[in-house]
Amino acid sequence: MQQPMVEFKNVIKEYDDVQILKGIDIALEKGKFYTLLGPSGCGKTTILRIIAGFTNASAGNVLFEGQKINDLPANKRQVNTVFQDYALFPHLNVFENVAFGLNLRKVKKAVIQAKVIEALKLVRLAGYENREISELSGGQQQRVAIARALANEPKVLLLDEPLSALDMKLRKDMQYELRDLQQRLGITFLFVTHDQEEALAMSDEIFVMNEGRVLQSGSPVDIYDEPINHFVADFIGESNILPGKMVADYQVEMVGKQFECADAGMKPNEAVEVVLRPEDLDIVAVDQGQLVVTVDTQLFRGDYYEITAYDADQNRWLIHSTNPTQDGQQVGLFFEPEDVHIMRFGESEEDFDARLESYEEED
Amino acid sequence: MKKVKWQNVWLVGIFILLYAPIFYLIFYSFSSGDNMNGFRSFTWANYQALFVDKRMIEIVLQTLLIAILSSLCATIVGTFGALGIYETKHRRVRNMVLALNNILMVSPDVIIGASFLIFFTFLGLGLGFGSVLLSHIAFSIPIVVLMILPKLNEMRPALVDAARDLGATDWQVLSKVILPYISSGIFAGFFMAFTYSLDDFAVTFFVTGNGFETLSVEIYSRARQGISLEINALSALMFVFSLILVAGYYLLNQRNQAQKARRKRKAGA
Repeated sequence: MQQPMVEFKNVIKEYDDVQILKGIDIALEKGKFYTLLGPSGCGKTTILRIIAGFTNASAGNVLFEGQKINDLPANKRQVNTVFQDYALFPHLNVFENVAFGLNLRKVKKAVIQAKVIEALKLVRLAGYENREISELSGGQQQRVAIARALANEPKVLLLDEPLSALDMKLRKDMQYELRDLQQRLGITFLFVTHDQEEALAMSDEIFVMNEGRVLQSGSPVDIYDEPINHFVADFIGESNILPGKMVADYQVEMVGKQFECADAGMKPNEAVEVVLRPEDLDIVAVDQGQLVVTVDTQLFRGDYYEITAYDADQNRWLIHSTNPTQDGQQVGLFFEPEDVHIMRFGESEEDFDARLESYEEED
Repeated sequence: MKKVKWQNVWLVGIFILLYAPIFYLIFYSFSSGDNMNGFRSFTWANYQALFVDKRMIEIVLQTLLIAILSSLCATIVGTFGALGIYETKHRRVRNMVLALNNILMVSPDVIIGASFLIFFTFLGLGLGFGSVLLSHIAFSIPIVVLMILPKLNEMRPALVDAARDLGATDWQVLSKVILPYISSGIFAGFFMAFTYSLDDFAVTFFVTGNGFETLSVEIYSRARQGISLEINALSALMFVFSLILVAGYYLLNQRNQAQKARRKRKAGA
C-alpha cells in the first residue's frame, strides 16, 4: 500500500477532562477526497485543527508522509485550510489575500503574480484581483478563500464546512466545482461537514463520526447501503429501522413475518435491527405486496413523493415513490432481499467488515 | 406654519451653551483693554505680546513635546498591553487585569497626581520634564488599551489561524494581520492620549518641578494673578489649532474613502 499522506494513530484530545476525540485511527491517501461527517460537536473540526496544527493531540501520533508532526507548528506544515467563515483578511484586496502565503515565503514578484492569477483562474475569479473583500458576495469570498489556500500548493487541503454559509443552489454548484478541482489538482482534500448529501455527493471516502469516534468509514455507496449501526443508518439518508431477529442465515423475522435477506454470519435467533431505505420500497397492489400498509400522509418533494404509511401493528413506514397514491388507501409494499440490510447491536467496524467478507466470498 | 422641531432647538441650545464661553474668550482677545469688562477697541496687541513672550512659546513647545512623546510611548505600551489582555485565555485573570486598567481610568486625577508625587519623591527622582513625561505616559496607557481592545475583540480568531496556516510566524501574524486590523484603534488611542496629555492639569500640577511647566499649569498660575488678555489670544490660537486638526482628520478620512471608491470603480470597469 502507498504511504498515507496523513495518518492518525489512536489520537485522543481532551479539554478540561472532557474527551473530544476518543482514539481516532484514520489514514488519508494521496489524491483522494475524504469527508468527515457527523453532527455538530462530534469532534470532526477538532481532527481538522489537529492536522492543521492549530491545536495539539493530547495523546497518540499524528503522521504526515510518515513523519511524526505532533509538535510541528502550523506555519511549517504543508497543509492549508479553507475556513468556515472564510477568514479573509479584510485590510487586503483579493490579490493580496491570495498572495499572502507566497509573500511570506519571499517568492519572486513575477512568480507570485503568475501563481495568484492561476489560482484565481482555478476558482473562476480571473479579473477580480483588485476588488476589496467587502465588495464580494459570499460565494466569491468562498472562492477567494479556496484560491488563497491553493496558491500555497499544499499537499493536503482541509475544508471546514466551507459551504454551510451559501444558499442551496450555490452550494450544489460549489460541490461540483470542489470535486472537479480536487480531481484536476490531484491533491488530498479533507472536507468537514454535517450535511450527509454533501458528503455522499463529493467523497471518495467518508468517515462517519459521533461523540469523538469514527463509527464507519468507506465509500459513499458502502456507507449508504450497508450502515453499520442505527446512528449511521439514521444519519445518512432517511430509513426505516425496525427491530428484528435473525432466524437463520439469509432469513430475518420482523413485524411478525419472515423475510429473505442478504446478510448472514450471525448467531441463530440473534436480535438485530433491520434497515429498509424508503426508495427501495415499491408500492404494489395489496395482494402482491409482502406487507400491507395504510397510507397516512404524502408530501410532494419535487422529484418524488414522500409517503408515510402504517402497517397493521402501527409500525411507521417511510416510502419514496415517483407516483402518488391516496391518503387512507391500503397498498402493498414490495422489496427485494438485497434491499433488506441487517445491523447487529454493538458490532465494531472490523467485525462488520470481516463478517461481510466471509459470506461475500462464498457467493 | 412650519412645525418647530424641538429636538433641533434643543441641539442648537446645547451647542450655544458649549461654545459661548469659548467665543466670549476669543472675542475679548481682540480687545485693547486689560480686562474683560467691556470691549474697548479692536487690536492685535494681545497676539503680538504673545509672540514676543519667549517663556510662553517655550511652554507651548514643551507641552507639545510632552504630549507627542507621552502619547507615542503610551500607544506602544498600550498596544502590547491590549494584546496581552486579549491573549489571556484565563477569564478570571483577564477580567482582573481589565478591571485594574479601568480603575485607573476612573480614579480622580488628584489621587493619581498625588500618588505619583509620593512615588517619585520616594524614588528620589527629580521633578521636572522626566516626571511629567512618565506620569503622562502612565495615565495615557489605560486610554490606549480601552481604544484598542474592542477592535481586537471584533477580530475573528480564525484570521490568526489563517495567517499561521499560510505560513506566518508569530511576528508576521502580528505585523501583517493583527496590527493592520487594529490600526484604526491604535490611531484613535494615540489621538486620545495626545489630547489627554495636552489638557491635563491636575496630574502635571503635582509632579512638575521648578523650571518646567506645561500650558495648563502656566495658565492656571497666570489666571490666579488676574487673567491677562494674552491668555485669551493664546486660547483663540489653540482653538483654531484644534479646529485645523479636526478638519485635517476629516479631510484625510474623506480622501481615503474617495481613494477606495476610485479603486472600486477601476476594478468594476
